[in-house]
Amino acid sequence: MSPDVIGNPRIPQPIPLERADELGIQQVMDLNGAPTGNLADPGLSREEVRMFYETMVLLRAIDDRGWTLQRSGRIAFWIPLRGQEAVQVATTHAMQPEDWIFRDHRTLSPWLMRGASLELLFAQLFGAESEPQKGRRLPCLIGNRAVNLVQGPTQVGSFISHACGVAWAAKLKGAKTRVLGMFGDGATSRGEFHSALNFAGIHRPPVIFLCVNNSWAVSTPLDRQTASSEFAGKGNAYEVPNLRVDGNDPLAVYAVTKKAWEETSTHGPTLIEAVTWRLGFHTSSDNPDLYRHQQENKLWEPWDPIRRTRKYLAIADWWSDKDEAELLKRCTDRIKTAVERAGQMEIPGPESQFEDVFEDSHWMLDEQREKLLAEVRGGDQ
Amino acid sequence: MTTKMTVLEALRAGMAHALENDPDVVILGEDVGTAGGIFRVTEGLQNRFGIDRVIDTPMDEKGIIGHAIGLALFGMKPIAEIQFSGFIHDAHEQIMFCAAKYRWISGGQYTVPLVIRAPSFGGIMGGVWHSQSVESYYAHGSGIKIVCPSTPQDAYGLMLAAIRDPDPVLILEPVPLYRSLSGEVDDNGVAAPIGVAEIVRPGTDVTALTYGPLRHATEKVANELASSHGIETEVIDLVSLIPFDIDTVTDSVNKTGRLVIIHEASETLGFGAELATRIQHRSFGYLEAPIERVCAPDVPYSYRVGDEYCRPNNQRISAGIRRTAEYSF
Repeated sequence: MSPDVIGNPRIPQPIPLERADELGIQQVMDLNGAPTGNLADPGLSREEVRMFYETMVLLRAIDDRGWTLQRSGRIAFWIPLRGQEAVQVATTHAMQPEDWIFRDHRTLSPWLMRGASLELLFAQLFGAESEPQKGRRLPCLIGNRAVNLVQGPTQVGSFISHACGVAWAAKLKGAKTRVLGMFGDGATSRGEFHSALNFAGIHRPPVIFLCVNNSWAVSTPLDRQTASSEFAGKGNAYEVPNLRVDGNDPLAVYAVTKKAWEETSTHGPTLIEAVTWRLGFHTSSDNPDLYRHQQENKLWEPWDPIRRTRKYLAIADWWSDKDEAELLKRCTDRIKTAVERAGQMEIPGPESQFEDVFEDSHWMLDEQREKLLAEVRGGDQ
Repeated sequence: MTTKMTVLEALRAGMAHALENDPDVVILGEDVGTAGGIFRVTEGLQNRFGIDRVIDTPMDEKGIIGHAIGLALFGMKPIAEIQFSGFIHDAHEQIMFCAAKYRWISGGQYTVPLVIRAPSFGGIMGGVWHSQSVESYYAHGSGIKIVCPSTPQDAYGLMLAAIRDPDPVLILEPVPLYRSLSGEVDDNGVAAPIGVAEIVRPGTDVTALTYGPLRHATEKVANELASSHGIETEVIDLVSLIPFDIDTVTDSVNKTGRLVIIHEASETLGFGAELATRIQHRSFGYLEAPIERVCAPDVPYSYRVGDEYCRPNNQRISAGIRRTAEYSF
């Protein structure tokens, strides 16, 4: 199906990463994984780059499984992440475990890379009572304090000022904690984006604002979101240092995030725009055929972060076909086990929704709870 | 040991006590620092505690609340001042769907011990944006408490209670009483309990339930009606709205059989609607008259005549009490 969109004739193409230099986009790897870009190779170890690759492959496998769980009716919702693996993996690695990460809707990496279990991740998708948020949030809206991962309120961008506030508190309290606040390109139109950059410019908290620019805010393309040629430059108005980076290049994303992390203790905030591309659906409730072609994705495919990283590994002779086969099997097995276990878990009872409204409940809630429980259990004659 | 204070001074004393005793307490808002706030509630606090504890912010309500949420998430106890309650709506989503929801949406992992101060109510010839009673917008939903002190002692005690509460608390401050009302305050650092009403004036014929500055007008009218009409009105100041003290109210209504609810907010879906429903459910068999409401009409608040004819004046409060006291089937 070919969309015929009145008033919006220019369906965007991926931002051309082959013109990174000209567009002010920092890049380590070229199309073939060779570290020949305008940014020096950060010199990560064999183990680190392999970990990047393995985690990206696992994320894509989780994405595939999440999609089929949604389409088969076992979970209510899915937010695809395919193609956007590099940004999340590299930024998580550049931050320290005690740093707080406010995630955008497609980021799963801190959960996995900071040691929370895959089983618990799938438990979240099934809405299990025992997952950290007690089954209250839509599938994919994951938050886990054990790994300093915050799932903010669902309204896009509403939590950018919260991320800035946490960093500000860390500074006021003399804590070492830094904060990564992730959000999409559409969120930059929200007031909270501007509030946060404005406050950050004044108070210089140790926060990294990460705009994951995938060119689409649901169906609205870039040129209908802003007349600005880039998102990073919006930081100039607030005296927040900013840069653009190739979001499909995990080494570049790591390098710029690590540098921004180091600079939190000198100049405070940085705004990073990671340029990537949304390959498919906004969420499982979307129908992209209404507003875009699939053919633009062909332009993106060579820039697939997994493909490029594999090439980088091959050049360094850090990866073999045997490694690849073992990795794919490991991903499949782990996901299978996690889904089997998570799918058996208890879901919350009706009384669970009355917990955590306040630390201590009060009579108005207590009365509603007792009435509801009596009604649903047939005890109220 | 008590000190004579205005309402404004009592609020300030509560904040100063907290700033002095808890390093995690900070104040932030528009003009709260050097100027001490446009009402001077925070006057002198920045000099005393420094610019990192009493923080002037950009003119951005959603930014003030959004950043205060971040501070609270990391264990601080921010007191955010909204300059006038009529300016709070820019931050509605931050208050109701961020601050008030974090505990629940995170399964209890993240909490927001945040105090929001909102100078409220009419009586200062302020027009639409400087005379607002916003309680219903914040009472509908979940996860935030609302208190409404209108004596110096309550102002002091509830300020401390709000700061020590582990959840967000909205304080509706009585602007017209800031400087006009003073009294002895036991400023010993003890918080007042949230959710406890006060019987302002005992009576046997009719219960007048109110909160905010109208508590004082209602008390005055009740005294006049006692001498002019022999009507003994029991006046109750609700003091806390979420949660509110239903036991004190129903005990009174079960005794008088008659209830009139008086508030400044406009009538439709005003907090009185909730009070009437809950109380009639508990006291149905005791009621001898329909529950009456004396509220603002559903019109915006006029600069010139709002204080007299939008906000319930003494004539209207008196008429409402008499109508209820004298009602017969």
